[in-house]
Amino acid sequence: MKKGGCSLGKMLLKLFLKLFGICFAAIAVLFTIFFFDLDGKLLFYVVEPFLKKHYDDMERKDVLKDLYDVDKYPKREF
Amino acid sequence: MIDRKKVKKALRDFWYGKPHGERRLGEILEDKTGLYKHREWRGVKDTSYYFWNIWCYNYFQMVMDIMKNGGPIVFAKGLWRYRWVGQTYLPVLHWFDRGLQGLRGEAMKASAWHYRAMVATTIRQFQRMFVCDAKINGGKINEQHEHTIAINETVWGGIFYPWDGKLVSVPMEMIPYFVTCHVNSHTVLNYIDAVQSIGLPGDPCPMCQAESGLFVLDDMPDYAKAMVTCNEACDASVATSILQDWFFDKPLFALPMPMQFDDPLVKENCMKEIEQCWRFIEQQYGIPFNWEKLKEKIEQQNELQRFEWEKWDVAAHTNNYPINGVAQALYRIYQTQYGDWEIWHQVDKKVRKIMEKCVQKNINTFPQTRHRVIAWSCAPLYYSNWCTWAYNCWGLNVVINMDSLMFDMTIRTDTYDHALEDMATYHMWAPMRRMAVGGMNHIFELWENMEKFNCDMVAMYDQLQCKGMQGVHGLFEDEFRRRNINAFWLPHALPDCRTVSRAEIRNAINDYMTTVMHEEPLDPSLLDFDDSMTW
Repeated sequence: MKKGGCSLGKMLLKLFLKLFGICFAAIAVLFTIFFFDLDGKLLFYVVEPFLKKHYDDMERKDVLKDLYDVDKYPKREF
Repeated sequence: MIDRKKVKKALRDFWYGKPHGERRLGEILEDKTGLYKHREWRGVKDTSYYFWNIWCYNYFQMVMDIMKNGGPIVFAKGLWRYRWVGQTYLPVLHWFDRGLQGLRGEAMKASAWHYRAMVATTIRQFQRMFVCDAKINGGKINEQHEHTIAINETVWGGIFYPWDGKLVSVPMEMIPYFVTCHVNSHTVLNYIDAVQSIGLPGDPCPMCQAESGLFVLDDMPDYAKAMVTCNEACDASVATSILQDWFFDKPLFALPMPMQFDDPLVKENCMKEIEQCWRFIEQQYGIPFNWEKLKEKIEQQNELQRFEWEKWDVAAHTNNYPINGVAQALYRIYQTQYGDWEIWHQVDKKVRKIMEKCVQKNINTFPQTRHRVIAWSCAPLYYSNWCTWAYNCWGLNVVINMDSLMFDMTIRTDTYDHALEDMATYHMWAPMRRMAVGGMNHIFELWENMEKFNCDMVAMYDQLQCKGMQGVHGLFEDEFRRRNINAFWLPHALPDCRTVSRAEIRNAINDYMTTVMHEEPLDPSLLDFDDSMTW
């Protein structure tokens, strides 16, 4: 009985230490990202250029071809 | 041999952060990009706060805001379709960094809360646009689309209070244009160029150009059944409304801000126009006007105004005001234009707590203040955080600004007529109208506010493409001399960082502080650095 309780305690302690370790590692990673502005660098050097290229390449409707009518609202095509 | 003094100093700097004169904040920036080699070390307590309660907290809250307002799929679709989302709003935490640089303790906390409210409101609006948007929903006009009204960003959200809960008003330009300039100044340049590419001249206000450019590039969601436009208190913007009418092509009601708003007859006319606008909404949406709702919302907005007056009182009479220049300006203009919403109340509650602590404990929130500055006229959107730089570099503490002071009123709710009369006044005191191009009496309200807020210096914005304010440049010069006021001009082109760069703005201030004031910088590393490519 005593032995079982002891092993349960050990298991809980192990679990606690594991969770603590995971949390600690996660915080350490997050803090490194934060402190060295790695989020900013990723967005500036990778994400933004990729998205810009995508937006630049997008086909866009020529709005000047729309008629400028008063009180007439054409059915739109998307 | 270990130098004990040096070790002690290093430990002290680690624990408390370096004192103001030793920070050398310019040296933690990467050349050109303005990214951080490393973020600022503010001491253990403040760095921990910044990491947990600002950086982690705000990233987390942004995800939660997206989940609450339409979800991640809607966001992903919008991000893929619209440049102004993807290019602008992902690096939003960098916007926090730029505005909050160098701040410590309660000033850092209170100012960051203001940013949090603006982010939540921004996400709320663009997610509503995407939920309703026929363009990203395969041409489908959904229920939400039929209960949303598109408005010009300078039409006060309070006009739509009578339909609160039944109809959502979303400004067309506030998120795709205005906020983008503060967060990522590159995005807007696409829209300015777009409007010039169809043959329109480049010399009008670039704000009007950018707002039209959104439509020229077909970058405006089709999210509403009808629209309410206005002249944005600037007559170049009338042309924007015409282009919006053409390209958005929806039933439209024009609700202009009159030029001569001191005239009682003009006010009467404005009241009638507001009522006509209400009838237009009833006709378009088939939802009746609700006076009780209007009253309830106005009273809530009045509550926000009363707290703002308390804040001004602390700012004017003590050194305990915990909000820096950029947070004060942006939060206030955002709140007063957008109208009542729960996030403002939540944030005000938190800021009240911080401010009361500062007053009770007599905390000097900006201890390196050399000059108390009032900023007047319209600010550079791409460098709204210039005042953060100015405090860190020169000890210039921008206590208050023109945009904060515009809507200096509560609205009566005892009768319908009183409410309407006050709403007309509020509507007419629009951004860029009351104290910018609103007539001599109002632009010169500067002098009384300077006295009221105990300021000894003026930062005078010089929007080079605003024909209205360019016309009064000389009058201000004369008055500054006559009244013996220390004032520097801050040239800019509202959203367009190509016309006057941030470095040129800093140089103008550096020149004034050295040649006129004969002062030494608090942080010389901030005098000259290249951030030409920064967001």
